Amino acid sequence: MSLFLIVALPFLGALLPGLMNSAGRAACAGVTFVVTLAAFVGLMTNLPAVAAGEVVSVGVDWIPIVGLNFNLMLDGLGFFFATLILGIGLLIITYARHYLAREDHMGEFFTYLLLFQGAMVGIVLSDNILLLLIFWELTSLSSFLLIGYWKHLPEGRQGARMALTVTGMGGLALIGGMLILGNIAGSYDLSVILQSKDVIQDSPLYLPALILILLGCFTKSAQFPFHFWLPHAMAAPTPVSAYLHSATMVKAGIFLMARLWPVLSGTPEWFVIVTTAGLITMCLGAVIALFKHDLKALLAFSTVSHLGLITMLLGTGTKFGAWAAVFHIFNHATFKAALFMSAGIVDHEAKTRDIRLLGGLRVLMPITFVIATLAALSMAGIPFLNGFLSKEMMLEEANHTTLFGMPWLVPVLATFGSLFSAAYCFRLIGHTFLGPVRESYPAKPHDPGFGLWGPPAILVVLVVAVGVAPFLATPMVQLVASAVVGEAGAFDDKYIKIWHGLVPALYMSIIAVVGGLVVLAMFKPLLRAWDAAPRPEAKTIFEALISGVVALAQGISHTLHNGAFSRYAAIAMITFIAVGYHAWQTGTVGEASRVIQEAGPVAIAGWLLLVAATIGLVLMHRRRLLALVLIGIVGLMVSVGFVYFSAPDLAMTQFTVEVVTIILLLLALNFLPKQTPVESSLSRRLRDGGVAILGGVATLILSYHYLIRDAVTGPISEFHLANSYKGGGGTNVVNVILVDFRGFDTFGEIIVLGIAALLIYALTETLLNGPVRARLLNRRPDQARAGDVHPMMMVVLTRVIMPVVLMVGFYIFLRGHNEPGGGFIAGLIVSIAVVMQYMASGFNWASDRVRFPYHGVIGAGVLVAGLTGIGSWFVGKPFLTSDFTYVRIPPFQEFELATAALFDVGVFLAVVGAVMLSLESFSRLARRAHDKDSDHPMDIDPSREDDAQAVKGA
Amino acid sequence: MFAEISTDIQAMLPEIVLAVYAMLALIGAVYTGKDALGRTLVWVTAAVMVVLAFWIGSQEITERAFGGMFINDGFARFAKVTILLSAAAVLVMSIDYMDRRELLKFEYPLLVALATVGMMVMVSAGDLMALYMGLELQSLALYVVASLRRDSVKSTEAGLKYFVLGALSSGLLLYGASLTYGFAGTTLFSGIVEAVSDKPSLGLLFGLVFMIAGFAFKVSAAPFHMWTPDVYEGSPTPVTAFFATAPKVAAMGLFARVVHDAFGGVVGDWQQIVAFLSVASMFLGAVAAIGQTNIKRLMAYSSIAHMGFALMGLAAGTAFGVQAMLIYMAIYVTMNIGTFAFILSMEKDGMPVTDIASLQSYSKSEPLKALAMLVLLFSLAGVPPMVGFFGKFYVLRAAYEGGLTWLAVLGVIASVIGAFYYLRIVFYMYFGEDRDGLDKGGSPVLWAFLMASAAIIGISWFPGLNLFGIEVIAEAAAATLVE
Repeated sequence: MSLFLIVALPFLGALLPGLMNSAGRAACAGVTFVVTLAAFVGLMTNLPAVAAGEVVSVGVDWIPIVGLNFNLMLDGLGFFFATLILGIGLLIITYARHYLAREDHMGEFFTYLLLFQGAMVGIVLSDNILLLLIFWELTSLSSFLLIGYWKHLPEGRQGARMALTVTGMGGLALIGGMLILGNIAGSYDLSVILQSKDVIQDSPLYLPALILILLGCFTKSAQFPFHFWLPHAMAAPTPVSAYLHSATMVKAGIFLMARLWPVLSGTPEWFVIVTTAGLITMCLGAVIALFKHDLKALLAFSTVSHLGLITMLLGTGTKFGAWAAVFHIFNHATFKAALFMSAGIVDHEAKTRDIRLLGGLRVLMPITFVIATLAALSMAGIPFLNGFLSKEMMLEEANHTTLFGMPWLVPVLATFGSLFSAAYCFRLIGHTFLGPVRESYPAKPHDPGFGLWGPPAILVVLVVAVGVAPFLATPMVQLVASAVVGEAGAFDDKYIKIWHGLVPALYMSIIAVVGGLVVLAMFKPLLRAWDAAPRPEAKTIFEALISGVVALAQGISHTLHNGAFSRYAAIAMITFIAVGYHAWQTGTVGEASRVIQEAGPVAIAGWLLLVAATIGLVLMHRRRLLALVLIGIVGLMVSVGFVYFSAPDLAMTQFTVEVVTIILLLLALNFLPKQTPVESSLSRRLRDGGVAILGGVATLILSYHYLIRDAVTGPISEFHLANSYKGGGGTNVVNVILVDFRGFDTFGEIIVLGIAALLIYALTETLLNGPVRARLLNRRPDQARAGDVHPMMMVVLTRVIMPVVLMVGFYIFLRGHNEPGGGFIAGLIVSIAVVMQYMASGFNWASDRVRFPYHGVIGAGVLVAGLTGIGSWFVGKPFLTSDFTYVRIPPFQEFELATAALFDVGVFLAVVGAVMLSLESFSRLARRAHDKDSDHPMDIDPSREDDAQAVKGA
Repeated sequence: MFAEISTDIQAMLPEIVLAVYAMLALIGAVYTGKDALGRTLVWVTAAVMVVLAFWIGSQEITERAFGGMFINDGFARFAKVTILLSAAAVLVMSIDYMDRRELLKFEYPLLVALATVGMMVMVSAGDLMALYMGLELQSLALYVVASLRRDSVKSTEAGLKYFVLGALSSGLLLYGASLTYGFAGTTLFSGIVEAVSDKPSLGLLFGLVFMIAGFAFKVSAAPFHMWTPDVYEGSPTPVTAFFATAPKVAAMGLFARVVHDAFGGVVGDWQQIVAFLSVASMFLGAVAAIGQTNIKRLMAYSSIAHMGFALMGLAAGTAFGVQAMLIYMAIYVTMNIGTFAFILSMEKDGMPVTDIASLQSYSKSEPLKALAMLVLLFSLAGVPPMVGFFGKFYVLRAAYEGGLTWLAVLGVIASVIGAFYYLRIVFYMYFGEDRDGLDKGGSPVLWAFLMASAAIIGISWFPGLNLFGIEVIAEAAAATLVE
């Protein structure tokens, strides 16, 4: 049968039990059995080829770009494991059919079981490590569903969590390892990787790959220090424990170590890591197992111990070790699955698995007794049972192994582990089955039907058969071992015999068995000592570790994300500086090509003012009015700076912008407390100060660096200087840029300006009609209001100034094209003239006299500018192409007329409208909050009788 | 001249259509039904986006419009299709949630549409100015969307933080762009790449790193990620879902566009920074997510970690790396849409809950949804055979082949750490204590999105489906970016 079909059968078959759930328990189990049997038979049809030493392989490309091919291969090792998985699977299915209670969902259970089975078969048949990884994680997933099958058991939760966490993370580590391995070998196909031993072992990445892969194997196969999850996963139903946790899934890690043995083993790293882990696991598991009272827990730790044994054998890196390992895998699968199933029978019939409540079952359950005893004795290493043979081989191998330069270490520990192994086996037999019959059990035990004891019985037959006639197993071991060691080498079968002479291993075996009996005899005092001894409980450690990690993670995230914006900003700023420093470090720096100009006294004075204002601002920023004044000084000094560096146009713009901004801010301050409350601690202020100074210094260095070097390409200003008059008809380059070269930008900008003003208007409207309104109405100003809000002096003065300012605005506008000035500045100046009227004479008085709504002014501005642009279409030129001509109207001198001036009118109108609309909106807020404004321009007006009285009354 | 302009307009017609649609719909809705039209507009907007996605997907040419400022190539189209489809999906998913909380304002779909226009311009940008325009259009719309729930302090705070930090990073990006322009003498990427072909000057380098810092903020890569958890938590969940999907693709696309198109000649100069961002994001995302109890915050850290992985592909500096990044982003978006469909359906007594503990023993009441989430979470963790594994695999391999073995190894470690918190949710759902769980049922739309996403993630690795051929498309797309 094709390998594809063997792998696919369980997956396809997994649909059936789920669909047939309603057809009854027998049907579900039956169909599962048939599917598994079909796969098993299919596998057996490949036996002749495999026995002949061939490697059966098939493959199709899947996602070739990543090297993922659906390649399967069947060699001795794969065949061996697949037989174990499917064979024991058949027995487990039979057993589960009878084990599960009536109310359990059979269909669901068997679906998961088949999925798991398919994934396991996939692992052992994969010829591509990525494919293997996929199947590997599928086993995690399906096993997790199987373990969780009995959801209602609370103790199952912790177990499932540990199993999930440990194997899940191990699996991801394995992915990394495999990825590195595949990259070293240049292919993800196992057949290629297995040929690349030298390349892999010489690679500097060998060690990381090895560690990551071993992490995956150790977690899956419950090796120290990850051994703790397996016993806790035992809350699952017994068929699951028997299948997953003894026969198959936990062997996946072992399988992988065996599979990669040819390329990974033989190095000191491999030897030290694998052997040590195996040895520790073996001893630790055996000792703990002895003191467990739960039958399944005892078996679970014994499984851990035996897996350790196999791992140790693989770790030695010798061929003999590999042979022994293979043989023990087989033996362990047989006797341990039988034991698990026996434990399940006891649990099922006596309704308890607690050894302390059992005893005397020999009489009540004779069949189970025979099965369990034979299996347990095999595990203890008693001759004529298969466990003896592989244990002897293990001890022999241990004798030749020197770890950490101490030749006695491995043999002693191996004997120690075997001793305890024998002890818990004897305890299992002695305390469960032997002894007097108790008066009461949780339920009256009796032997179950054949359906339950049949499957373990079949396994025990194998145990005895191989134990009595070892030659039966020789070809199998030979076949599998040659697949592991990578060559069909002559196999020294001296050890697969019951009697192999008086070798040290035999003495060690005798010591172990006798010692085991002695330990059992002293069990009670030992148990007292064990219970009294403080010992680390893996589960507690795991929990503590988890909570520690969670606490650490919370600590980190709370430190980074405490919600305080200033911290975020500080982190961002420091990172900005850091990346800047990185750039500074890696960049090439050219020679300085400019000299620093001499600083005159004016420059120094200005600089000092600027710095003093800035420092003063930082120190006194809590007093808001003062801060505003200082900001004003900073702005002023910047404007003066522009003047100093011969940019009067910029200076004027900056200056007017400053004035308007300060007025806006003053209006806003009206609604705010005068002081900023202190909310930050001194240390935080110091930190912020430090960050700010760092940022400032960094900016300084960067600016200085650029200032003393010429630009890479010539500045664009040359072009503008050259073309300003020729092409734009103006000598004020800035203005020509604004209205001509980049007129389209300006057009966009005035639209944006208008939208912004409209938005401010819309926002204040919404605010005034919303909940804020009540708050404004009820607001009490911080300070007493001035009695004379609109002093006569000021009213008169502003009226007089108004036409003058408008004239200045007009003049500035006109000269703009050639001298500093232009529509933008003129707009601001005119706005200031109008604002003065509002301030001096009051809102009502001023707004009554506004003829055009400011929205309209903005719209008109945009319209004028737009129409100017469109105008150029009529002469066949692109949008906003400007033109100019010189005219002379007597008695004036010749002057220039440019379409750009028309455009500038648009700019002017838009600026006036925008500034006024936003200021008006703000003052509406203010008016809402304060007393009603009078309709008269002056509070005290001698020409009005009523006012004087009103003042007196107030 | 007009002919030239018409070909230019032809090239960016999808963007123009979407922008014009958004503006017309905005004006139309203001003068007619306003919020009563919200539901209709969401559907229409989503439909427009899907149509545009198919239209864009069917194009095959590579063209440069407006003097090279706008590039319509395979790379841009890959990103655009992902952006449009995910935005449409999130819009449709959000209807019920927004409607029941009276958040279904008519502006919502239109702001999303405008943000989407911005994103489309971003991935097509061939010039620093187009870049900035797209970026700001996207960001400004997102700032508003983040604080859509105006009566919630958290939402407003989130929006404000996002805005201020966004403005800061935008400023830095602009500074970087100005420096680049100043030292390259042009804003066109094609011109910049010539100017930096030899050893770049300090000015260009500063421009590069500051722009990268700006992009890192947009993709929420550590240490520029600070806004992410707060914004994810504070925004209405559909908005969070949107944040987690389309803008990430756009920012990644832009990131790749700039480093390859404009700075492709000095891979070594940005590789280290991108690799650093990648490592920092992966580890911060993985570690900080462990302690989270709010699933939205958890998804924020999860997205940070995922961006780290996507950046790993970019850090490789090769065409394969870009391909890996694109595949990773497509998979990431699919997973996130499913996950957020689930989060949107998390309700108890009709109120939305985001507490992870509320998922305890969820599998009992809703086995199918729990299974779908299991698939998605395993995929997010990168467990084979879920598609998330392939995404991780691609970027890890790209990093390895790009000579960044250490980065790949660190990525593996980060993914192991990160698996912990995904698996914890699975644990809660399957083995949690029995307690009053979430409401059963829920919107069929969300159910459909969850199932569809889980199905794509769960089965598209099957032999024969081969990830729906995405790697071939991504390969072609990456080839247009990195010659």
